[in-house]
Amino acid sequence: MRIIKNLTIGMSLIMGSQLVAAAGSGTTLDTVNPEADRMALRSYYQSRFPDSELSDYVNGIYAVDADSRSQWEELEEFPPYEFDVEEGERLFNTPFANGKGYADCFENGGIGIRQNFPYWNKEQGTVKTLEQEINECRENNGEAPLKWGKGAIAKVSAYMAWTSRGKVFDIKIPEGDKEALAAYLDGKEFFYTKRGQLNLSCSNCHLQGSNIRIRADLAGPALGHPSHFPVFRSKWGELGTLHRRYKGCHQDSRSKPLDMQSTTFRNLEFFQTYMSNGLVVNGPGSRK
Amino acid sequence: MKKLITMMAIVLLPNVAMAETYDEVFEMNRAMYGKGHTFSWEGKEYSTNHPEEIEASVEATKENADALIAKAKAENEAAAKVGFEWKLTKGIIKDAEAASAEGDYSKALTLAAQAKYHARLGVQQQIDAEKNWHLSVPQ
Repeated sequence: MRIIKNLTIGMSLIMGSQLVAAAGSGTTLDTVNPEADRMALRSYYQSRFPDSELSDYVNGIYAVDADSRSQWEELEEFPPYEFDVEEGERLFNTPFANGKGYADCFENGGIGIRQNFPYWNKEQGTVKTLEQEINECRENNGEAPLKWGKGAIAKVSAYMAWTSRGKVFDIKIPEGDKEALAAYLDGKEFFYTKRGQLNLSCSNCHLQGSNIRIRADLAGPALGHPSHFPVFRSKWGELGTLHRRYKGCHQDSRSKPLDMQSTTFRNLEFFQTYMSNGLVVNGPGSRK
Repeated sequence: MKKLITMMAIVLLPNVAMAETYDEVFEMNRAMYGKGHTFSWEGKEYSTNHPEEIEASVEATKENADALIAKAKAENEAAAKVGFEWKLTKGIIKDAEAASAEGDYSKALTLAAQAKYHARLGVQQQIDAEKNWHLSVPQ
C-alpha cells in the first residue's frame, strides 16, 4: 500500500511538473497569450541588459553595445538612407498611369501609418504587411508589382516609415479570433524553431545570442527588430526590406529560405511586431 | 527519508532512462570513434555507420548510384514538405546526378549518401523542433 502511495505521489509530481510547464509555455492555440509573451520578452531583456532603456531597443544592437553605438551615431550624422527617403517620396507622389497614386490606397493618404502594419485582415483571413499593400495598390491600379526585397518598394516603404517616425506600434490580435491567434502562434513558433544545417533558430541569435559575437558581428536583440525597417545595411550597400533580411537570416542557418512575403514570413512579422508594441517607429534605419 | 528517496527516484527515473536512447548512444559512439566502430545497446551490437554510409558501400555501378540518388530525392522532398529542406541538399543531388552522368559512380554514391543524410536530418529536425521549440520561449 505504501509503495502504491509513493508511486501515486511520484507520478503526480511528474505529471504536475509537465502540466505547469504546459500551462506556462503558451505554445498551443488554447494556451498562447501574446501579451504575456510580450511582457516576458521585455522582462528578459530588462534582466539581461539592466542598463538599457526599453524604449532604446528600437535601435537594435546600439541599445546594448556602447562601442557599436558610437560608430552608428557618427554614421547617422549623414544617414545613408537620406537620398532613398527623398526618392521614396518622389515615387510615392508620382501618379500611376490611371492618374491615381499610393495615397489613394491607404488610410490618411498613406502618411503616418507604418505603426499599424502588419495587421490581421479578417475578411481575407491573413496577415497583411505594408509592402504587400504597396504592391496590391499598384496592381489594383494597373501597375506591375515591384520586387519585394529592395529598390523602389524599399524606398516607398522607407518614405512611409519616415512619415510615421515616433508613432507607437499597436498591433492588434482581435479578441476571440482564433485565426489571427493561429497566425501569431505560427510566427512565434517559427521564431523559436531551430532549422537548417546549422540548427539555428531566430531566437538563438537574436534572443540568447543578443550582443554575442557571431564571427565579427554582434547579433541585435529581437525586441524592436521591425521598428527600423526598411534598413540601409552597409553589407548590402543599399536599402532593403524586413523580408529581405528574413530571407537572408533563414538562408544563413543553411535552410532553403522561404519566399519574401510568404505566409510564414508575414506571420513572423506579425509576431515580431506585436512583441514591439509600445515602441516607436524609427525607420528607415542604418545598420552594419 | 526513505520515502523521499523513493519519490526522488521515481521522479528522476524517466530522465535517467531518457539519457540512454539509441540515438544518444549512437551519437556518443559516433563522436568518440567515428564510422566503422561497433557498440552495444540493450544487449545488441550496432555499427556507428550512418544508414547512408551503409547504402553507399555497394558496388559503384550506374544502377546503384541512380537508386541512391532517387532515395535522396525522395527524402529531400519529405524534408521540404515539412518546411525543413536544407540549403545545400538540392545542389548536392545535382552534383550526384552529374557525376553519375559522367560515369563517376563512386562519387555519385558518396554525394547521394551525403544528400540523403542531410535530408533525413532535416526531417528529424522538424520532429525534434515540434517537441522542443517552446523550451526557448522566455516565461
